[in-house]
Amino acid sequence: MRTLIILFLVVSFFSLYSCEEVVEVDLEESEPRLVIEASILWRKDTPGNLQLIKLSTTAPFFEDQIPAAQGARVSVFSESGMEFEFEELEPGIFRHTEFVPELNETYELAIEYQGDLYRATETLLPVAPLETIIQTDNGGFAGEDLEFKAYFTDPPNIQNNYLVRFFFEELTIQIYEDKFTDGNQTFAYFSNEDLTSGEEVGFEIQGISRRFYEYLFILRSQAGSGNGGPFQTQPTTVRGNIINTTNPDNFAFGYFRLSETDFLDYTIQ
Amino acid sequence: MKKILSTLFIFLFSYLHAQEKITLNGVVRDAANNETLYGVNIIFPDLNSGTITNEYGFYSLKIPAGTHQILVSYLGYQTLSQEIKINKSESLNFNLKESSEILEEVVITENFERVNIRSPEMSVTKLEINTIKNLPVVFGEVDIVKSLLLLPGISNAGEGSSGFNVRGGAVGQNLILLDEATIYNASHLFGLFSVFNPDAIKNLKLYKGGIPAKYGGRVSSVLDIYQKDGNSKNFHANGGIGIISSRLLVEGPIVKDKGSFLIGGRSSYAHLFLKLTDNPNSAYFYDLNTKLSYRLNDRNSLLFSGYFGRDIFNISESFKNTYGNAVFNLRWNRVLTDNIFTNLSVIYSDYYYGLTLDFVEFNWNSGIKNLNLKYDFNQLLNDQLSIDYGIQSTYYEFNPGEIEPSTASSGINYFKLTKKYALENALYLSVDHQFSEKFSMTYGVRFSSFFRLGQDSLSLYEDNKPVLFNPDFGIYEEAEPIDQRILPKNKVEKTYTNWEPRLSIAYSFNEVQSVKLSYNRMSQYLQLISNTNSPTPLDVWTPSGRYIKPQLLDQIAAGYFQNFKKESYTLEIEGFYKKAKNGLDYIDGANLVANNAIERVILHGKSRAYGMEILFRKNTGNFTGWLAYTLSKSEQKTQGRTPLESGINNGNWYDTGFDKTHDISLTGSYTLGKKWLLNTNFIFQTGLPTTFPTGQYTIESLIIPVYSPRNSNRLPNYHRLDLSATYTPTRKLNSTYSSSWNFGIYNAYNRKNAVSLNFRNNEDTRINEAVRLSLFGIIPSITYNFKF
Repeated sequence: MRTLIILFLVVSFFSLYSCEEVVEVDLEESEPRLVIEASILWRKDTPGNLQLIKLSTTAPFFEDQIPAAQGARVSVFSESGMEFEFEELEPGIFRHTEFVPELNETYELAIEYQGDLYRATETLLPVAPLETIIQTDNGGFAGEDLEFKAYFTDPPNIQNNYLVRFFFEELTIQIYEDKFTDGNQTFAYFSNEDLTSGEEVGFEIQGISRRFYEYLFILRSQAGSGNGGPFQTQPTTVRGNIINTTNPDNFAFGYFRLSETDFLDYTIQ
Repeated sequence: MKKILSTLFIFLFSYLHAQEKITLNGVVRDAANNETLYGVNIIFPDLNSGTITNEYGFYSLKIPAGTHQILVSYLGYQTLSQEIKINKSESLNFNLKESSEILEEVVITENFERVNIRSPEMSVTKLEINTIKNLPVVFGEVDIVKSLLLLPGISNAGEGSSGFNVRGGAVGQNLILLDEATIYNASHLFGLFSVFNPDAIKNLKLYKGGIPAKYGGRVSSVLDIYQKDGNSKNFHANGGIGIISSRLLVEGPIVKDKGSFLIGGRSSYAHLFLKLTDNPNSAYFYDLNTKLSYRLNDRNSLLFSGYFGRDIFNISESFKNTYGNAVFNLRWNRVLTDNIFTNLSVIYSDYYYGLTLDFVEFNWNSGIKNLNLKYDFNQLLNDQLSIDYGIQSTYYEFNPGEIEPSTASSGINYFKLTKKYALENALYLSVDHQFSEKFSMTYGVRFSSFFRLGQDSLSLYEDNKPVLFNPDFGIYEEAEPIDQRILPKNKVEKTYTNWEPRLSIAYSFNEVQSVKLSYNRMSQYLQLISNTNSPTPLDVWTPSGRYIKPQLLDQIAAGYFQNFKKESYTLEIEGFYKKAKNGLDYIDGANLVANNAIERVILHGKSRAYGMEILFRKNTGNFTGWLAYTLSKSEQKTQGRTPLESGINNGNWYDTGFDKTHDISLTGSYTLGKKWLLNTNFIFQTGLPTTFPTGQYTIESLIIPVYSPRNSNRLPNYHRLDLSATYTPTRKLNSTYSSSWNFGIYNAYNRKNAVSLNFRNNEDTRINEAVRLSLFGIIPSITYNFKF
């Protein structure tokens, strides 16, 4: 919500008299760090046996390739005693084909990389299904963009947090909390100016933890239009839930999380 | 503290038994319109004594009976010089005539600047409204706050940012008073313009240091602005037509020489053109200044002032935003006895912020209201001592926010953040003490107290800690409340009290050279919750209480002052050091909007600032102007509360977002013949601190930059040149109508100054790039001003 308001402030204000230009800036380079993207996703009504975990390292800011982190040992343990050892399918991409997801079960991730052991714990969270998509064509500032509202009903009296993805040629994500919408039918909001009628798109909702919601909240503010300017928030180092148990100072970026998901296909009207 | 007080009283009473003299008092006014004049010098050259009028034009002084020469002088007015014979205490009012427009004809008596040299007052910035009106400004919009930025020690967080920073202090640390009423947000259009209509303003003073005991409640500075009273002799109107806004002000007598009214309005009108072009968006502002003055008799006057301003944004009917201040003030000026002047004020002030987001179907509003009662006294004790004392009490009601569905089908639940209440009181005593011709002091103390009152529900936390540190991930997290406390609002939840000593000393070597020293301690009980470099209109003010401590600041300043060539040139050099504690810093990812538990996302930090300011002015001749240079540093630090905690930025000092190492402005004004006045500014400033990325990674298909330590990089240096010319045609004989044209060029050599450097992934090429955002290129402007 806040991001939204700030965005409006910035757009309405700067559109008055601003001028943007790409410039050359010399940047210092920081030491590479491990980045772990371990999102276990289980779509409703599927077995959820195929799971991928992605390891990479940080790169200089103007580099166009993100280097893969190779040669790690990646395992996930369930609270009930199951162990899933992931195999490296291609550099930095680790796969398991017989994963057993279970709602509200707690899992632990263990990664051995370059002599350090990284660990993280998270619970597989359920999600409310997506119900319907309502499309209108008067969105955006000019009132000419396509608008999509992906409706779902928030379960009452418990705190829920959502990650909603909108797939078209690209991927955009939105995050929601139920602070102001607890127990109501509510929607995720997307707009797009390029899509034309007949195109196939998709919407996916995921149940996420409060910590992961906050993590994404900060990530998105950092990934936004950058830093500086009167309405910008302070840039910061965003820490996920992964701990380097061997050498805590050499921490890894990224997050280990498990979510139930629901998907809706949609054809642009 | 007791020591300070007792010393103060000893000083005071040891001088009470000076010889009996008679008291002379009165009010100095403008002969043309009866406006009272503030800061007029009243001097008895043969007695070597004098005084200046207070903010209501009142003066009083003690002299021996007899026949004396008296000089009454004020910048821009003809000096009045006459011989008076007085044998008993009496009232003597003076009316000064404005000198003609050309400054060189102003008779500056040799006493004019002397008071400045001798008075302990320092670190004070005064700008004449006429000077402000001639400065070149963006879009030709005369702006008090933007003009102040041309003086040393005053800056802002970049072009287009709101508010101003004084001596490295935050924007929320400035006390802004309009006719003694607090203004909570002094900006229109997110900081493009300030809310003060220059036509309605009589004078202004900005205290950067050595702040008198009379003022309190903000730690960094006091901007004290007074509106005109209105002309009680004749009806007059003046106004202007500019690119962005137009102004009209009407004033005149209600009862001739006794009562007057003033009403001034200003509005922008770009939105009207947008409407003509069928553009559904609009953005505009307006404000209204009113004043009613009535002189009941020689000893009593009533003044009513009002201000109402709003900004309105409307984007495609789906985003509607309204905000602004409203202020009402009733004052009663009373001359109690020959040597005591009092002012009783009742002030109501209100800041409102409202927002409607139609596409997510909700309305939002927040605000702050206060009712303020003040009783101030000026008392002359003898020719060496005068005292100011008074009492102030303010009741606050805070509405941190209310959210409601805007449509029946909205998925938003009604939600109201808990309203907060507080009472702030202060007592002060300040002594002006002239020890000798060379040595004078102002010393005083302010005792402030703050009572946070009960509210519907207040969260309680384990160990009283609303913010927890998670050592595993090295991050701060919000604590869960363990209980709720419900207390009626007539009960006190938390009390803070502070003694705030104030001191200024002046020693003059001779008539043209002096050194001054000042110290002030300030406390601030309301904090502006803002996590961006520059405040936004939706930032909320929040009171101190159980979890938020009041800010405390100490400042020392020392200065050297000299006049050259009969006050044709003046030089002011000051150095300052200040440190403050309990400023707010925010944990990573702190969500400040609609947050009912702000305490869970804040940490208390420290700040410090130090620097040197030089102001060299040329005051007379066809060419006048000044060179202002500030060399300074402004830093902040938020350490962990225990050694295990990381603090913010690893607990290290870092530059504030508005730190500028060098800040130079050169302002010149040249009178060309009788019709033209040419003005120019040149500004150079070190680029503002910013944070550059040192790497990148991807998560959830977002490209995330890895950043260097906070504010460890700089934007490119800022510089620009502005020009303006004012043409005043000769007034037709027998006509009261006069007019002038102002032509301006802002940023004459079209420098693309960076407001920010954004590092982002290009949407089309998918390559990371650095983008410089610049705001104002070369902007010509034209304004037509009239008066009749």
